Amino acid sequence: MSRPRVTLGIRAQLLLVLTVFLAIPWLGYEYVRELERFLRDAQERTLAGTAQAVATALHDRPRLFQEGALSPEIEQIIRGLSRTTARISVVDREQNVVARAGSLKRADPQPVDAGIAGDSRVARGWAWLERVALQPLYARVLPPPSEDFSEEPNMPARRPTADGKAIIVAAANPIWVGDEVKGAVVVEQTTNAVLAERNRAFARLFTIVLAALLIGSVALTLYASWLSTRIRRLRDEAEAAIDAHGRVRGVLAGSQAGDEIGDLSRSFSSALARLAQYASHQEAMASRLSHELRTPIAVVRSSLDNLALQNLTEEARVVMGRAQEGLDRLAHIITRMTEATRLESSLAEAEPERFDLAQVVAGCVEGYRAAYPQQKIELESPSGSVPFDGAPELIAQMFDKLIANAVEFARPGTAIEVKLEREVASVRLAVSNEGPRLPAGMEARLFDSMVSVREERSAATPHLGLGLYIVRLIAEHHGGRALAANRADAEGVTVSVVLPLVRALR
Amino acid sequence: MSRRIAIVEDEPAIRANYSDVLRKQGYEVAAYDNRPDALAAFRTRLPDLALIDIGLGEDIDGGFALCRELRALSPTVPIIFLSARDSDFDIVAGLRLGADDYVTKDVSLPHLTARIAALFRRSDLATAPKASEETLQRGALALDLKRLSAHWKDKQVELTLTEFWMVHALARFPGHVKDRDSLMRDAKIVVDDSTITSHIKRIRKKFLALDPDFDCIATVYGMGYRWNAEER
Repeated sequence: MSRPRVTLGIRAQLLLVLTVFLAIPWLGYEYVRELERFLRDAQERTLAGTAQAVATALHDRPRLFQEGALSPEIEQIIRGLSRTTARISVVDREQNVVARAGSLKRADPQPVDAGIAGDSRVARGWAWLERVALQPLYARVLPPPSEDFSEEPNMPARRPTADGKAIIVAAANPIWVGDEVKGAVVVEQTTNAVLAERNRAFARLFTIVLAALLIGSVALTLYASWLSTRIRRLRDEAEAAIDAHGRVRGVLAGSQAGDEIGDLSRSFSSALARLAQYASHQEAMASRLSHELRTPIAVVRSSLDNLALQNLTEEARVVMGRAQEGLDRLAHIITRMTEATRLESSLAEAEPERFDLAQVVAGCVEGYRAAYPQQKIELESPSGSVPFDGAPELIAQMFDKLIANAVEFARPGTAIEVKLEREVASVRLAVSNEGPRLPAGMEARLFDSMVSVREERSAATPHLGLGLYIVRLIAEHHGGRALAANRADAEGVTVSVVLPLVRALR
Repeated sequence: MSRRIAIVEDEPAIRANYSDVLRKQGYEVAAYDNRPDALAAFRTRLPDLALIDIGLGEDIDGGFALCRELRALSPTVPIIFLSARDSDFDIVAGLRLGADDYVTKDVSLPHLTARIAALFRRSDLATAPKASEETLQRGALALDLKRLSAHWKDKQVELTLTEFWMVHALARFPGHVKDRDSLMRDAKIVVDDSTITSHIKRIRKKFLALDPDFDCIATVYGMGYRWNAEER
């Protein structure tokens, strides 16, 4: 019936929601790529500008292109115009390099950024984390620019170096001498600067997102733990408020919190209060009902008594007798109805004393043999005394109910077995009879108020299903419990009461 | 001179039935259905006996208040509480207010009239100086069957009528177990078992208050109670 279900706590659910934020690094990555494109365009424009500027500087100076081969003069000029990381070449019409200045590689390797390291423990820890965990990760996502590449470019404008380790961006501008193109200026630069910029941006972004995610998930986890703790506490309280028999044991305090959980706890609390009220109303019902019924019964009884004092015919007396009989039965029902509620109040007043349980049980059995002469009752009791702290008259009342129950269900001619046994820290009083078995599932409900499993109702004595309820009340008052089970050795039922020998008196 | 009985009861049918029967028995009956009327009448003229219901209509505990007021007017007039309530709490509260007896409305009219007659006898003889001959002596216990009074070691035990009849039933045959039904019969009450238990408890307490060593009423579990003769 129950399918296996994947259950996730609030904490897990919130963390799952948090994974949505993992899209942020991806968005950052896209953003950085866009940035890179923009930077590259800018670079290309700059290079083109440089090429144009150099070409302009070389315009209309035919002298420079006469000697062929490298011209120291041109070289001097372009060296003046060159910058680091850009290489300016001047070629003639035959594509011979006439002059060249600058290098594609950085003159100095980029210094390790050690500025923040060493300031504080946190910073050092962060730097360590960055070096050990993050940088390899960044390198995997966006490879850092390599300074170790061959300077041989491939053609054309944007191309990788011959060994593919770097990309070279080039711009060319013709050099005019008069109307004739005498040569060209080629400005080349690797994209390393852009790449480095891009990687730095990405690293920064990624670090920030990572830190935010980390802090966010810790905060969410804490928050979720707090929430689930509150909910769990509410659940525990709600469960504890109602016992196994469905009776309201206590009312929730009701949280003061103003949020929904506080609200829930308050509405739980008020619902339980209403339930408790209803339950006590139900419990008081029997006693109130009996109280209400007593007055009309008194009216009938006094009227009948009054009538009886008059001169009546024999016939009328017979009818009167019937009415009296019915009235007695009604009164009996009412007395029985209030017995349980009256017991509850007398339990509160019961004064515990130490007495010999074996003696009380033996005395009671003697009494039952006299009270039920046609019923065989066998007693098995430990030799010696069984000292017990409790109210003997309550124990006797409980035993009365156990016996009355057994007598009622016993098959005629069979014996009722009473067994008093000492256990480790408790004593067990079991009453067994032969007779019908218990209907399945009734074992626990049997001890509830107004529950009866009798099939046919006998007319003489009314049954309200309170006998075993009284047994339970008294057993629980003494810190024990009542159990009912089908007999293993014969067709029949054993109802037993287990009472702890040592306990804190309530 | 006929005796005057006041009935304070809010239920008209019960009031009428009781009045009828008591009148037939030769008593003069004055019936009231509320506390102020009854109290006003008591102030003018005290009844010889008062039968008071605890709940008087809206006045839930009106009977208790009336009992207190009547006791203030007269410390001797016999008062019987008649109520549908049978909780120990109500019984104890009623008796503490100075009522002589407490019966539930389950009581039959013959039992009620027997009670009333007994209380009149008791109040008559309490004022008479002459010692009654009709006594039952059981060791330290002396029961005066005419006055319906009990003495333990020459000290009076303040028992209600019901309690006196119970003690008498037990002490008449020491050593014999009286079951709850026969105790009820002898005490002319109809109550459930647990009320018998609390009656017995109250009786024991009254004796124990006079004599901490009192141990004559034994519980025979499963059967009833027994008066133990002292071994002295």
